[in-house]
This record gives sequence, C-alpha cells and structure tokens, in this order.
Amino acid sequence: MEQIQRKLAEYTASLYNEKILDEQFIQLQQLQDESNPDFVVEVVSLFFEDSERLLNELAKALNQTNVDFKKLDAHVHQLKGSSSSIGAQRVQRVCISFRNYCDDRNVEGCLKCLQQVKIEYTLVKNKLETLFKLEKQFVDAGGSFPVV
Amino acid sequence: MVSMSGDVATCKSEATVVTDHFPVGLRVLVVDDDVVCLRIIEQMLRRCNYSVTTCTQAMVALNLLREKRGTFDIVLSDVHMPDMDGFKLLELVGLEMDLPVIMMSGDGRTNLVMRGVQHGACDYLIKPIRDEELKNIWQHVVRKRYNSSKEPECSGSLDDNDRYKRGSDDAECASSVIEGADGVLKPQKKKREAKEEEDTEMENDDPSTTKKPRVVWSVELHQQFVSAVNQLGIDKAVPKRILELMNVPGLTRENVASHLQDMQKFRLYLKRLSGVVQQQGGLPSTFCGPIEQNSELGSLGRFDIQALAASGQIPPETLTALHAELLGRSTSNLVLPAVEQQNLLQASLQQAKCIPVDQVMAYGQPLLKCPPSISNSKHLSQAILSAEDVHSRFGSQRAKNICLGPSSNPIGLAALNSNMLMAMMQQQQWQKQQQMELQHRQSGPPEVNHSINVQPSCLVLPTQLPGNFQVGDSPASISRSGSLSKSSVIDYGVLSPQSNNSSGVVQVLDRELKPECGLNRLPSGGSLSRSCSINADNSVGLQLHNSSSAFGSSKQLPALIPNHLGSSVPYYINSSQVLDQGHMRNPGVGKCASIPSRFAVDESDSPMCNFNTAKICLEETKVKQEPNMNVMENAKVGPAIFQKFQPGDLMSVFSD
Repeated sequence: MEQIQRKLAEYTASLYNEKILDEQFIQLQQLQDESNPDFVVEVVSLFFEDSERLLNELAKALNQTNVDFKKLDAHVHQLKGSSSSIGAQRVQRVCISFRNYCDDRNVEGCLKCLQQVKIEYTLVKNKLETLFKLEKQFVDAGGSFPVV
Repeated sequence: MVSMSGDVATCKSEATVVTDHFPVGLRVLVVDDDVVCLRIIEQMLRRCNYSVTTCTQAMVALNLLREKRGTFDIVLSDVHMPDMDGFKLLELVGLEMDLPVIMMSGDGRTNLVMRGVQHGACDYLIKPIRDEELKNIWQHVVRKRYNSSKEPECSGSLDDNDRYKRGSDDAECASSVIEGADGVLKPQKKKREAKEEEDTEMENDDPSTTKKPRVVWSVELHQQFVSAVNQLGIDKAVPKRILELMNVPGLTRENVASHLQDMQKFRLYLKRLSGVVQQQGGLPSTFCGPIEQNSELGSLGRFDIQALAASGQIPPETLTALHAELLGRSTSNLVLPAVEQQNLLQASLQQAKCIPVDQVMAYGQPLLKCPPSISNSKHLSQAILSAEDVHSRFGSQRAKNICLGPSSNPIGLAALNSNMLMAMMQQQQWQKQQQMELQHRQSGPPEVNHSINVQPSCLVLPTQLPGNFQVGDSPASISRSGSLSKSSVIDYGVLSPQSNNSSGVVQVLDRELKPECGLNRLPSGGSLSRSCSINADNSVGLQLHNSSSAFGSSKQLPALIPNHLGSSVPYYINSSQVLDQGHMRNPGVGKCASIPSRFAVDESDSPMCNFNTAKICLEETKVKQEPNMNVMENAKVGPAIFQKFQPGDLMSVFSD
C-alpha cells in the first residue's frame, strides 16, 4: 500500500515537473468530491473524445487543396481551450504556435504543428491513463484522497 | 414562494428567502461549445452552490432563455461558438431578457474584451477559469437588479406581468430580487385565456401587493394613451402625466408606466431587429433573403407584437387598428377570414421577419373581426405546437426564407397587428425624428447614431432605455445599443423563420434526452414544455451515481428550493440540489432535475443541429414584451415605411 502510494506520488510529481500537467489539473482534482467522485476521470475522458475529434478535423482541414484557415483556427482554438481547462500544458503550448501558423496561413507550419500536437496529445493521454490506473490501485488498496 | 393560484403574489416571502441565502442557488446558464470547459465550469459553479444549466449551443441557450424567462439569473457564454457568435448571443440576451452576461474565452486580447464590453457583457473571463472567479458572479446579478429597480416604472410593470405564474394573474414581484435581473417587462408567457376582453376592460386594481388586475389596452385606451403622450411631448411623457391626461377611471400609473415601457422596449427591439437585418452581419444567406426595408419594420415587429398580443394586454383589436392605420385604411377594411387567420397566425409564427407591409395590405381584408382567440397566447401555443404542420404546409420556403414573397405568403394576423403597432410607434417617432433619420440613413451604419439620437427624443423614458441594455454601469450603453442592432437582431430574426421547429426542437430533445420529467412546468407553449426533457437522463445517469452516494453532502441548498419551486418551476432548477437530495430526482415530482451537463454535452451533432435552426420565434411570441420598439429609430426602416404609407387617422393623432 505504501508502495503504491509512493509510486503514485512520484508519478504525479513527475507529470507536473515535465509540464505535462499544470496547476489547472490540480483545480480539477479539487473539484472532485463526494457528489462527483469520478469528476476528473469524467472530464478527462471528455477531453480525450473531444480532442480526438478535433485532431481528425484538423487533419481533414489541412488535407484540403484550399485550406480553410478560419476553420482550422477555430478547431485549434477549441483544442487549446479544452487542453488548458484540464491542464494539459504541453498540448496547449503547441496549440498556441499552431494558431500563429494559421494566422500566417502557413500550411507547412500548420502540418508540423499538427504532428506535434498529436504527439503531445498522445503523451498526455498515456500519462493520464497511467495516472488513473495508479490512483485506482491506490484506492483499491484502501487508500483515499483527502477531500478538499 | 410564489403561489400557483392566481391570487396574491407572495413575492415578498420569496425575496426574503433569497436575501437570506443569496447567492446560494443563483441560477446560471452556461453556454460553451467546448464540452470539457463546460463540464468544468459547471462543476465549479456547483461548488459555489449555484444552480447550473449548461448548453453547448447558443441557439439552444436562447431557446431556453426565451421559454423559461425568469428562470435564470445570469448567463455565462463563450465567445467562440460555431452556431452563433458569443457577442451576438450576448446582445440578444441583454436585449430580450435583460440578464447579465459574462463572456468567456481562451483569447484574452484587448480588442475582444473591448467588444465584450461594447456588447454589454458585465464581465469577461479568460480561460482557463478558476473557481474563485466564478464565486463572485452574483454581483452582476445584484448590480443589475439595483440598476433596474431604480426605475420607478419597474414595479409598475410587474403588475402586468408574471413570472412564474402559469395560469395565474399578476405578480406584484417588485421585490423579487433574483428575478429583478430578468428585467422589467416580462409579459406572461401563457395565461390569458381569460384575456379576450373587449375594449376597455379594466378591473379596478387592488392596492399594492395584492393582485393587480391586468389592463387590456384596447384600441380606445391606447389611442388615449397615445394622444396623451403626444400632448405631453416625448420628453415629458411620464406615466403620471400621461395618466392624468388620459383621465381614465381605474387606470393606475403603474398600468400606464408598464404600457409605456412595453412600447419603448418594443420599439427599441424592433429597431435592433431591423438594424441587424440591414447589417446582415452573421446572417446566413438562407435566412436573409431580399429584405425590403419597408417590410422589415413590419415583419420584425411582428414577433414582438405577437408577444404583446399573446400577453393579452394589447388585444388584437388594438393591434389591428394600429395596423390599419399604418396601412392607411380604416380598420373595418382589414379583416381576415377566420380560417385564414389561424393559418396566418401559425405561418407568422414561423415566418421571418421580412413581411413586406404592402403585402400585408394585399390582404385587404378587415382584421377586426379576427376571433380573439387567435391572438390568445393559448392559440399561439397551439400554433406553436402545430408549427410543424404549418411549416410543412407552407413548405420549406417558409422555413428558410425570411423574406416572404408576394401575396403567396400568408401573413399572420399577429404580424399585421405587429405592423400596426409598430407603425404607430414609428409614427410617433418619425414625426419627431424624421430629419435625423433621413440624415443618418445616408451615412453608414447608423445604429450608433440612431441610438444616441433616439434616446432623448424617443418615447422611451431615457432612464429606462439604458436600463434595458445597460449591464452594470456600462458607459458604452449607447454605442452598445448601436452595435446591438448590428448583430444581435440578425440572429433573432433568423430565428424566426425557423420557428416551426419548436416542436421539432422538442422532439429532438426528446430523442436526445429521455424526458423523464412528466411535469410540464413551462407556462405557455405546451410543446415547449417538453423541453423539460432537458432533464437529461443521460447526464442524470452519471450524476445519479454521485447523488446516490453522496447524500446530505455539505453542499446543501435548501434555501433555493422554495425560491424556485414557484409556480413555474424552471426545469433547470437546482440541478445541483437535486443531486444532493437524491430523492428529488424522482421524476414527476415537479422538479425535473435536469442535468444540463449532459444535455449540453451534445455528442451527436446531428440531432442537436436542429436546434440551430429551430428558431425561437415561437417562444418569442409567448414571451414577454421585452423587445424594444425602436424600430422607428432605424433610419433605414423607418422612413421607408413612413414614406410608403400614408399616415392614417390614428397616426395623425401622433403628429403634433
């Protein structure tokens, strides 16, 4: 149990250290309570779904012969918004550069950013899934998180 | 708690409760297409002990706001949304419902924030939003309320409106704190079956807090009103003096004030509608066909007129007469056969703004004989219910085209009524401002100018006008109203033609969200009440887990319940409370615990897309007479109509 706890703590710390997550994620965790015990998982799942949809849209949009930068920008904006809401800092950062390329109507730059966003997204997704797994182990082992 | 009977309003107690526990239970509507943000904000608001309703689409939000007026205290809206610009929504909400609106965006650039201010936002939050920021949003509600309540007319108007009441009369909720923010004029949505009085039907009103009988502004009465106003002159037309001049026994200053405000709001609203239509900012081309200036005025006003008519305070006869005057005919000439009327009414409900006035004239049938029931809000509701039928009857053309073609387009009786009323109001203004308007018409977007020019001279008491739009202490209220006309109304108008979907909307809702709540609290349109299905079971599913496991959580909001469980229990009410009190979740208990989050989380785009097109015009008709009547101010529209029609006798009354 202690082992799990430690593992969890370390893992969580690393996420913050590597800037995969930021303080906003902590806010999210604080919002979880008895009446919403799975809040974080719920929101993160929403994020995954939404992001995957957006990434598809982005790919599609960039695939056009005449790239609609406005639409592209709108999608990126949304991705930026949702990633910032849950604290997926790196994803958010890439989105910011992505938007700049959109403003410049730079297809190359956009494509590059799309690649990057996908990478960062996959990374944060994996990390979060691991985190949840660890948390579950922790809880199953009898641990509990302090309720704010 | 507001009683459901028609008797004495017990707003006082409501106010008391509110005060004690405020801001607990503040009813917030959040609109954001980003489901992640939406969920997070919802949770944050719940933690603040607010009552939260969420939407992913602006149109849906507008529908909600329109259907359930008085059930929200404040709106939070994202700036960037696919179906409607957040600023547009902001304007519309401010215009129609007079609720404080807070904008949110991940983009915090100054120019955007500035736009927010200009459009009347009371605040602008930058994402990601922290819960501390949300804790104090109640201040905007209070502030607005205080600003509104400064108006002496405020309480006056209340006697003609009722908020929660479904079938009951009146509501002397001058002290209704929470509701105050909703604005001053809230014509009842439904009611009024009893409404079909003829002419000067005024019951003597009881003093103060007791139920105030509703005054029906018959043609004669309205004429008297108008003459009094003209006699006094726009600037001096205060309710008290108007009342004195009118010298009508039994009429109170409050009645007059309320009527005055109705007119004002309507005019202003129309102005914005037409102004926006002119701009064509975000108006999809399908919606905005060739809009003729002269027709806009009539058509735009129609819905408001419908609302007015629906409220029963301005009986069809009056509106008919007004219209007749506008068209330069005697009222006896304009009567539609009963059969047509129903059709027209339904059609008008769906139809958009652009109903050329001259086409209205084409009917050339006396309007006066229209059965009172037509304008009855009940019928409006029915019309709404059958909107689909009507819609299909009239074909897709109706659905999409704002501008009705010639004669083939039936025009609702209400439309005619609205035209009349509008025209009447126009006339008043035009007499005074014709020069100005002509002038402005030449220049570019005149909205801002108009707003500024109009205010002093318009019938609206200066203090009231800004009150409608002013959010907090926005100094930019004037310019804001200008911009309002630019963008807000466009959508509003756009909504109109799609109104047939109200039932469609409902149905979609039903599909999406199992309507577990059998309690139809929605006052008017029965069909709309089904939107109670917003008691999304989907989300409920999720929430239920929580609630079942988390009873008696510390976040109890007992105080809220009584407040909101008034006669018109809003659907979205207290979702959080419902959660907390698991038993409340039982459907059919009236408090349809809606879990807006799921409802809002509209995963499947297609069904919800209907909402985009599901226009709210139907709701509008049932809703209060909030829209302002500034049509006259819009140079583009006003003079056009003015020129088009000769002022009738009634109109001439207005000329000084």
